[in-house]
Amino acid sequence: MKHFFQKLALLAMAGSIAISAQATTPDEDLAAFRNFFKDRFPDVPTGEYVNGVYSIDPVGRENWEAIEEFPPYEPFIDDGRTMWETPFANGKTYQDCFPDGPAMESKFPYWDKEKEMVITLPLAINQCREANGEKPLKYKKGPINDILSYIAFESRGQITNVVVPSDDPKALAAYEKGKKFYYTRRGQLNFSCATCHLQNAGMKIRADILSPALGHTTHWPVYRSKWGTVGTLHRRFTGCNKQVRAKPFKAQGEEYRDLEYFLTYMSNGLPLNGPGARK
Amino acid sequence: MRIKSFLQFTIAALLLGASLTPVLAADATDSNVAKAQQMIEKAEAARKQAASVDGEWRDTGKIIDEAKAELAKGQVVTAMKLAAEAHKQGVLGYQQAVSQRELKMPSYLHY
Repeated sequence: MKHFFQKLALLAMAGSIAISAQATTPDEDLAAFRNFFKDRFPDVPTGEYVNGVYSIDPVGRENWEAIEEFPPYEPFIDDGRTMWETPFANGKTYQDCFPDGPAMESKFPYWDKEKEMVITLPLAINQCREANGEKPLKYKKGPINDILSYIAFESRGQITNVVVPSDDPKALAAYEKGKKFYYTRRGQLNFSCATCHLQNAGMKIRADILSPALGHTTHWPVYRSKWGTVGTLHRRFTGCNKQVRAKPFKAQGEEYRDLEYFLTYMSNGLPLNGPGARK
Repeated sequence: MRIKSFLQFTIAALLLGASLTPVLAADATDSNVAKAQQMIEKAEAARKQAASVDGEWRDTGKIIDEAKAELAKGQVVTAMKLAAEAHKQGVLGYQQAVSQRELKMPSYLHY
């Protein structure tokens, strides 16, 4: 009898660590996500999470506010404006591809039913360039960050509104793949994205405080002091995967686009406030 | 007597060292090189298997390259150690990815 109860206790403990996923809707996922942070940081208003780690780190926030007085991403916005306004060799401009632009960031990422894939803003920019005979830009470093900075700046205040259309099960499948990626442990350190940015949000990793996942996608691209320049969200995905000693995936490949689709959905309802400055 | 014992000891030590030197320096024999090569191939196979399930770790490929470089320099023992480490990483990466095939939501998220 004693052994039976011991085994039962062990099973109960194992069950509490992780449970197999039952079917949940994106809205249910979003509610659970938000409620986690409400419980974890009860004094932080939901809207504050657009400021990343500075929503929970008062000392870091003070430094960050000082930096924001002379934002290091400003030259990139100016260069991006020049890119936007400069015609391609064929005479057309980005405006011809994006009539609603440049204030259009809230439209991305979205599910393209015809192409059966998630379309992100950097991908769309390169699709525009290639359609007009221009070379595509690299997705992590370089001038892609200029035009993204300009678009992000012009889009400030727009509300994150990713849609998973109910009439296309492939869209939900892409969302679910992104969600699976987020919660899957990987690399030699055996961490998932959630290990750091949900479970241990607010805790220290060496000298840094782990940022909360809520609001993670609102402020990209980001000038990171570590990079000494502006970089893209997929560059950060690559870095995070390397940091847990996993082989990273390709920027703007299916894995990271689906991940962006899921992660941006988790920030639905939050205002965009890119480009950002971070440590 | 003491000097004689000391001299006997010194001669014995020199002879022992001389006999060991060929063994330590002989790691680059044909059979050892072949074994190291096999270990590197096995490590590469393990790396590819991990990659096939998106479970490859960051450093595995680099360690295999280092093993190859060490083998090319004749450092067979080092090459073997590196190959063994890379193989271990490939196996663990594969097991990790397979164990994570089913989405497991953390219990701290409440639905």
